Amino acid sequence: MQSPTVEIAGRPVIGQRAREVGAPDPSLAVCTRRLAKDYVHPWTMRRTRGLEALDLEVGRGEVLGLLGPNGAGKTTTLKLLVGLLKPTRGRAWLLGHPVEDTASRRGLGFLPEQPYFYDYLNGVEYLELAGRLSGLGGAAAHERARQWLGRVGLGERPRLVLRKYSKGMLQRLGLAAALVHEPELLILDEPMSGLDPFGRRDVRGLIAEQRDRGVTVLFSSHILPDVEMLCDRVAILLGGRLTQLATVGELVDGGRQSVEIRCAPGALLELPRQWAGEVTRSERADETVFRLEDESRLQEVLAGLLRAGVAVRAVTPQRPTLEELFLAAAAGERTRRSA
Amino acid sequence: MTAWLIARNTFREAMRDRVVAGMVAAGLALFAVTLMASPLALGEGGRLLVDLGLSGISVLGLLVILLTGTSLVAKELERRTIYNLLSRPIRRSAYLVGKWAGLSATLWTVAVLLGLALCGLLLLRGGGHSGPAVLEAVYLAGLELTVVTALAVMFSAISTPVLSALYTLGFFLVGQWSYDLRLFAAKFPPELGTVLRVVANLVPNLPLFNMRTLAAAGETTTALHLGLATVYAAVYAACALCLAAAAFESKDFK
Repeated sequence: MQSPTVEIAGRPVIGQRAREVGAPDPSLAVCTRRLAKDYVHPWTMRRTRGLEALDLEVGRGEVLGLLGPNGAGKTTTLKLLVGLLKPTRGRAWLLGHPVEDTASRRGLGFLPEQPYFYDYLNGVEYLELAGRLSGLGGAAAHERARQWLGRVGLGERPRLVLRKYSKGMLQRLGLAAALVHEPELLILDEPMSGLDPFGRRDVRGLIAEQRDRGVTVLFSSHILPDVEMLCDRVAILLGGRLTQLATVGELVDGGRQSVEIRCAPGALLELPRQWAGEVTRSERADETVFRLEDESRLQEVLAGLLRAGVAVRAVTPQRPTLEELFLAAAAGERTRRSA
Repeated sequence: MTAWLIARNTFREAMRDRVVAGMVAAGLALFAVTLMASPLALGEGGRLLVDLGLSGISVLGLLVILLTGTSLVAKELERRTIYNLLSRPIRRSAYLVGKWAGLSATLWTVAVLLGLALCGLLLLRGGGHSGPAVLEAVYLAGLELTVVTALAVMFSAISTPVLSALYTLGFFLVGQWSYDLRLFAAKFPPELGTVLRVVANLVPNLPLFNMRTLAAAGETTTALHLGLATVYAAVYAACALCLAAAAFESKDFK
């Protein structure tokens, strides 16, 4: 049997020691083991928990969305992965390399939240610099810089200095800078923030295109429809803790499924007593809607309505949206904490 | 390689912010004032021009360091431009070396341009024999500014711009008096003498880079002096940058 091997600070560690530190599976693009971050106030020495023992595995080619309210630990997680923060406990690997090793960032493209750039440079110069710092040669960096500036819709004025860029233009440039060296792994912190609907659509398109190229994407967002549209899996962080990690389908199907029965208007003005608390009735413009909290009594209710002569128009299962699940998870976490 | 890219970018920033143009213009203005005042020097106009010109190069260089160098890293932290750099395969130490090298290159450019202008003025006044001495003095001034830049980068990496400007200025001023500190140390009680000796050894030995009086008299220095000063500057700057890198390595960028 072959001994496991893991690289620590550029040195291979083999066997039992490797098992202890937890060698990552090489097929994983991102792997964290008990990763934690505490922030210490420099004067009072008071500790604040930024992230709590995060175990996360993201396979190569996967798109994972990180959801959570402000202060949930999303940015902390992403900064720990790209080496901008040092973990208090635990370890993390990117593309098989420990994050403390610069090699982990060779195949990485990162877009920080609200990116800032050197405003004395122009778009081409900035992308050239970004490409060269990520390992491209001079000629390749120049060519890719022009190409990517065009791809993100900024190619018409390549010599415009960045101090004259709007917020949306800066966000697009940041995305181009993250992609200019064609990375294997993209980590994006709120890539859609500050963009108008057209900008959001373009960024979504770029992420989808990278996903189709086989690039692993890990991104945080507040915009749930975008997450729902792009992600294979979703991780929900609340109060620095990973509370849910599942595919969008699993999350949505895992919730209670209610059912709506739409009927002709004015149907069944009084509900039978045995349905109380389980069926609600509401009037809409041109129809009456009966809503069942779950589908267990659907046959019985439907039969009752038909017996009463109600003209049933449609029976529609209601899947909870990601937003509803997210809000429910946040409420649950608040209750847990207050308890 | 990454340090070179960051150095080139830092140099480009200084050029576009018109730091070099501004400093060269200020230096030329100083030379012009000195030329106008030289008739009052009773035949010592050439000496006055060399002395004030070389002092001007050092003072202008120090101003650039205090205004730009001490906020070199802090500005990147404040504007968060550092996120875009350190999330790439770059060592934090290479980043600091690049910043130092870029600002040093800027200061060398200012020093060389003003030094050449000073030599040109001396030639026009018929004092061309002082040229080699002036160029040697400019070389030493460049080394001095390189050392002070390393200190500024070190303080900038661990402190706020205002505090790092104060620390850098303090080290520069005390460094100018490091010979005298050693002399005082011999005359004070042993405990205080030891403290003074430690301080004198910690601050840069800046008198080593000062040959303004020699150059004003048209005298050159020895190759040994130039060699020693070069080695000392390299070692002192390397130590300051190593300390900066050690402190910077564990820093969190929130």
